[in-house]
This record gives sequence, structure tokens and C-alpha cells, in this order.
Amino acid sequence: MSAAPGSIRWLLGHELRLAWFGAAINKGGKRRPGWGSIAVFTVGFVGMHLVAFALLRALGPGGRGDPLLAIPISLVVIACSTFMLSSSLRACVLALFERGDLDLLLSSPLPSRSIFAVRLLGIAAVTALPYVYLAGPFANVALVLGHPGWLGLYVTIISCATLMACAGMLLTLALVRVLGARRTRVVAQVLGAIAGALIFLLSQFSNFTRHDGNVGPRIMEMMTHQSLFGPDSMLWLPGRAVLGAPLPLVGAVLLAGLAFALTVARTHRFFVHGLQQAAGMGRARARPAGALRFRFRGSLFDTVVIKEWRLIARDPHLIAQVLLQLIYLVPLLFLVMRGDSAGPALGAGLTLLCSSLTGSLAWIVISAEDAPDLLLSAPAPRRTLQLAKLAAATMPALLLVALPLLWLVVRTPLMGLLVAFTVSAAVLSAGLIVQWTGRPAPRSDFKTRGKENFLCTMLELVSSLCWGGLGWLLVALATEGAGWMLPAAAAALTAGLLVLLLARMLRRRPV
Amino acid sequence: MRAESPALRLSGLRKSFGRPAVDGLDLTVRRGELYALLGPNGAGKTTTLRMVTGLLAPDAGDVEVLGIDLARDPAGAKRGMAYLPDDPLLYGKLKPTEYLEFVAGLWGISAQDAEPRARRLLDWLDLTKHAHELTEGFSRGMKQKLALAGALIHEPELLILDEPLTGLDAAAARQVKDLLVSHVEQGGTVILTTHILEVAERLAQRIGIIRAGRLIAEGTLAELRERTQGGSLEDVFLHLTEGQPG
Repeated sequence: MSAAPGSIRWLLGHELRLAWFGAAINKGGKRRPGWGSIAVFTVGFVGMHLVAFALLRALGPGGRGDPLLAIPISLVVIACSTFMLSSSLRACVLALFERGDLDLLLSSPLPSRSIFAVRLLGIAAVTALPYVYLAGPFANVALVLGHPGWLGLYVTIISCATLMACAGMLLTLALVRVLGARRTRVVAQVLGAIAGALIFLLSQFSNFTRHDGNVGPRIMEMMTHQSLFGPDSMLWLPGRAVLGAPLPLVGAVLLAGLAFALTVARTHRFFVHGLQQAAGMGRARARPAGALRFRFRGSLFDTVVIKEWRLIARDPHLIAQVLLQLIYLVPLLFLVMRGDSAGPALGAGLTLLCSSLTGSLAWIVISAEDAPDLLLSAPAPRRTLQLAKLAAATMPALLLVALPLLWLVVRTPLMGLLVAFTVSAAVLSAGLIVQWTGRPAPRSDFKTRGKENFLCTMLELVSSLCWGGLGWLLVALATEGAGWMLPAAAAALTAGLLVLLLARMLRRRPV
Repeated sequence: MRAESPALRLSGLRKSFGRPAVDGLDLTVRRGELYALLGPNGAGKTTTLRMVTGLLAPDAGDVEVLGIDLARDPAGAKRGMAYLPDDPLLYGKLKPTEYLEFVAGLWGISAQDAEPRARRLLDWLDLTKHAHELTEGFSRGMKQKLALAGALIHEPELLILDEPLTGLDAAAARQVKDLLVSHVEQGGTVILTTHILEVAERLAQRIGIIRAGRLIAEGTLAELRERTQGGSLEDVFLHLTEGQPG
């Protein structure tokens, strides 16, 4: 039965149809996921059922029904909630600032409350979907194994996603009120990145504190013995809801429903206000004409590098992405400062992170050039332009790790120099691969760049792994010196150079 | 750069994208004239301009800009010319001052030369009060004017514009037209394509009409009228482009 045009169901259908089109690879004008993608998706789903079956079977009938299972499950739910908050913040920024259809919807006779409710439902659905895909098989298998209570997992995921969608929307709208639309776009994405990395940082907590007073184990001890963290604690309600306990389940549904109703009722008007602010955010207040200042630069190289860095610094998407990568760098910095035996991991980690960061920046600087015609019609030497763009993409990562590397070189010179070598090689390779094999694309395609140019993405990935592996092997070789490491390091070096050679051979020629 | 050579000379220019887009085009534009290149949609106007400015490599033929062979010395040929595409892509996250700094850097203009020109252009095009705004918030007309300022910052002898007045309001269109006339009065050359025939009729000293990648008529407005016994340029244009086989 088709929904009446203009009804909430009809609007929700439109929203879900757009989400379905958005899942397409967008190659060759396709707007729906192809059969290949659907096949991969299905095989993955079946595979997850097999994994769930193996794990639940290993638990045994007693383990699957053990109330203490609620503790680890609760921890997983809490961890997933931070990821959900991260994706809902991203989705809210998208809904508020980037989707071009809200002008059309709000100028129609549809009530703004319905539009807001549907948009919020859409955000909740998009937030829940990956978790339903990954965790749903556990509920299905548990049902087959005689534990129907596990179906509470679906309810818990949907409730949790709804709560996080409401939290994300309220946070975004509050930021609009406090900071204005322009700053909110950046801050919300940065908050999303931090929320996404929160669990990773917490997981590293015991690493930070391991060297002196066993703080990590003490916390674990406290969690198991204090009543706050005891088996009957309220903290484990999410786990009990997953296992099908009726009260926690009803509580989760009521909480999510209440949050949704209150968010829609109290903030739908401010949503419209936020949109109006977002529409006008391109305009900044003009300064008086007397303040006109120019800073012309002496060389073409400087001119291009400064222009690229300005564009990067003013791109909120990129700032969020970069910040996320920097967050993952924080635990590595602690390892550097502590100078313990985690050297190989440090070598690999720094190399991989710098390579990934450079790959992102190179895509922005090289592939997403906004005005290629301007550059081509200028008498500027192409080689200088390419060098300047390469420098603009590689220098931030190198500057970022310069200080930790210097610290490392001072403390353990050989390890520092080896890591500096692999970091430099990885950064240069990432930049060159994008320069040689990257395809022109609009800046707005940043999130989907991997899908648009599969070859470039794969070369970048393999190159990163080769140099990261070499970083691990060289540092391990310098500290432990196992016999197999030397040929392995030689193989990683050769593979890294071969990837670079392949990228050079596949380089795109100018029109 | 030879002073006696024409501003632009195209000989036997060809470009094909499966089917010919430009088909053996011969064209000469003298220095110090405003030349309008007209043609119906898909006639090959933009393809021609993109080959002239080095954005597209021709399949065959020669392009000579201000006496310099574009294929042999692209940098030399580009130094004296500027191109304004029909939909100029600016950097949304740059301010007009920063955009002009960048363009001046591409053409290697010194700060002493560039700064007074940039101030004059922003002032002339009424953009000074918007100089500290990001261009992503600009209207189409403001973007077009800023791109024009960028095109003029190195004081090119040859200015090539593809549909420069599309989407501009009356005031902005007047500013752009005045600027083009002034450029020619100061000895510069302007080649423009336009669908607004009244602009070509009023501004152009010579008009070329292309169809299916070939030049089918060329001359002053009076010469074209005489040739077709038409009234307005619109009559001449329609007579020529609809009356002949492609």
C-alpha cells in the first residue's frame, strides 16, 4: 500500500530511497548499488552468521544464558554508542548544511515538524544500520540456539541509535545557537571525530599508566569489586536489554521514544532557524574598505603552497578527518615520550598514520583542484606547480611528526633515524601515487574518494602497508635482531618501491 | 612577441570527440579589435577557445597567439593572454584579495605591479567592500567580476572570454562591457563568444560565425548584412546558421 503524498510515511520512503541511492558506488552514472555490491553485502551477512554461530556455540548453553554476560555486552553497547554519536553528528551536519533538498521541502506545504521528524528518523536509521548488519546475526543465531531473549539486541540497537541521533541533533542545534552556523559546521565534525576515537583513547589508558603504579589493573579491580560496578549495577542495563530482560528493554524503548518526541516537539522550529543560518553562512561581515591588504609572494612555489594550505585550513571536512588521525597519534606520542620497548609498533604506527594523512591531503590538493583551467591557462611551469602541490600535501605530515621524531632521535638515535626514513618514504610515496594516478574530482567527493578511484586507493593502501611493515621490521631488527627480519625488510622495501614504480607507469597523461 | 603579427591566428584547427567539434578552422583576429565569435549551441566555440588557451590539445592545425606558436612555446603564448571561461571556477575558501594574489603569482607579476592593479580592479568592479568575504558566498555576478579581475591582473594583451555576460544583472553586465571597451581602447584585443547578439552588434568590430566547427561567415556587421541582405544581426545569424547545411 503506497503512502499518501505528503504524509510522514511518504516522506520517510523518499528519505530511505535517497539513502539507498547514496549507497551506490556512483560509477558510470549508476544511482543504485550494483549486483556486485549486493552480493558482497550478502556474503558478508552470511559470514557474520557463521562467526556468530562459532562464538555463541563456544559459549555453550550455560554461557549464553549467564547473567554476567550482560557486563561485557554493556561495555560493547557503550563503546558502540560513542561511534553512533559520532556518525549521528556527521549525519546532522550533512542534514543541516550539505543536503540541498531542505529548501524545497520547507517551501512546500508540509509541516516543518513532519520534515524534522522524518529527517531525525532517517538519521537514526542510518546510524543503526551498520550495527544491525554486524550484530543482528548474533540475535538470529541465538534464536535458533534456543535463546529468543537475544532478539532484544535489535530493540537495543534501534533505541540506542535513536537516542544518539537525538543527542547529535540537539548538540548540533545547540552549537548553532552558541557559535553560529559557520563555526558549528567545523566544531560538530571535530566533536564527531573525537567521539569516534574516544573508546580507542580509553582503551590506551592502561598503556599510558603501565610503567609506574599499575593504575590500569587497579581500575579493573575497582570495577569488579565496588558495588557501582558489581554484577547488579545499573550500568549493565544495556547488556540485560540485549539479553531480553523485559524491564531494561521497555526502559530503552521508552527512553528512546521520549527523547525522540521531546526533540521533535521542542526543537523543530530551531531546526528551521538553523537551516536559515546555514543558508547565509557563506557571507561574512564585510570589513571597511580601508582594511584592504595584499600579501603577494615572490615565488610561484610559495604562492601555490600558501593557497593550498589556506584551502585546507578552511575546509571543515578535512579538519575533522585530520583531527581524527591526530587523535590516533596521541597514544603513539605517549610511547615516544616514555621510550619503552614498543618501538616496532611505534615505527609502523607513525609511518601508517603519516602515509594516510598525506594521502588525504594529496587528494584535496591535487585531485580536488577547484580551478584546473586557471592553472593550465597560466604560463606557470607545470613542474613547479606539481612540486608545490606535492610539497603542500606532504609537509603537514612531516612537520607534525618532526618533533616526536627529533625526540626519538635524541633518545634512541638508530630507532629515530629508521622511523624517520620510513615515515619520509611513506609520505613521499602517498603524495606521488595521488599525483600520478589521482583523478580530478570535486572537493565534496572527499568522503567517497576511495570508491571513485579504486586503483589509486589500492596503491595508496598497499604502499602504506609496505612502508608501515618496513618501519616495524627495521625497528625490530635494530632492537631484537631476529634472522628472518632482514629478508622480510628487504621484501617490504622492494614491494614499496614496486608499488611506486607501478603508479609511475600508470600515471595519467594530460589532455 | 612580434608587433606586426595578429593577436590570434588559427590555421586548419581540428578537434574531434568521436565526431568533429572543430573542423579545419582558419581564423585571424587583428590586434586592437573586439572580435565576437558567434554560433549555435554545439558549433565548436568553446572547444576553439579551449584549444587557443592551451586547455585542450588540437588534433591538427596551428595556434599562434601574439606571434608565438602555442605548441612550441606555450608559456610564452600564455603570458600575454587571459581566458575567462563561461562558468569560472573560483576557490570558494579564498577571499578576493587572496584569489588575486594567487593569480598574480601564476603569471609571475611582482608585488609592486600587482598590488595597485588589484586595488584598481576591485574598486572598478565594485568588489572592494567584499574583499574580506569568502568567494563561496558570492553571487554569480560577483564571481564573474572577480574572475574578470583575475584575468586582467597581468594586463593581458589578448583577452578571451566565453559567454562573459551570462547570468549577470544589468549593472554588472554594463560594468563588464565598459571594461572590455576600455581594454580595446587601450590597445588590447578582446575575443568573446556570446549568445546575446545585441552585445556583439554593439561592441564587436568584427564578427565571426561558426557552425559545425567551421567558419561560415566573417566581417563587420555591415559586411555581414550586405552579404545576407538581412536587417539585424539576429536576422543575419539565423539566416546563416539555419540556411546552410552543416
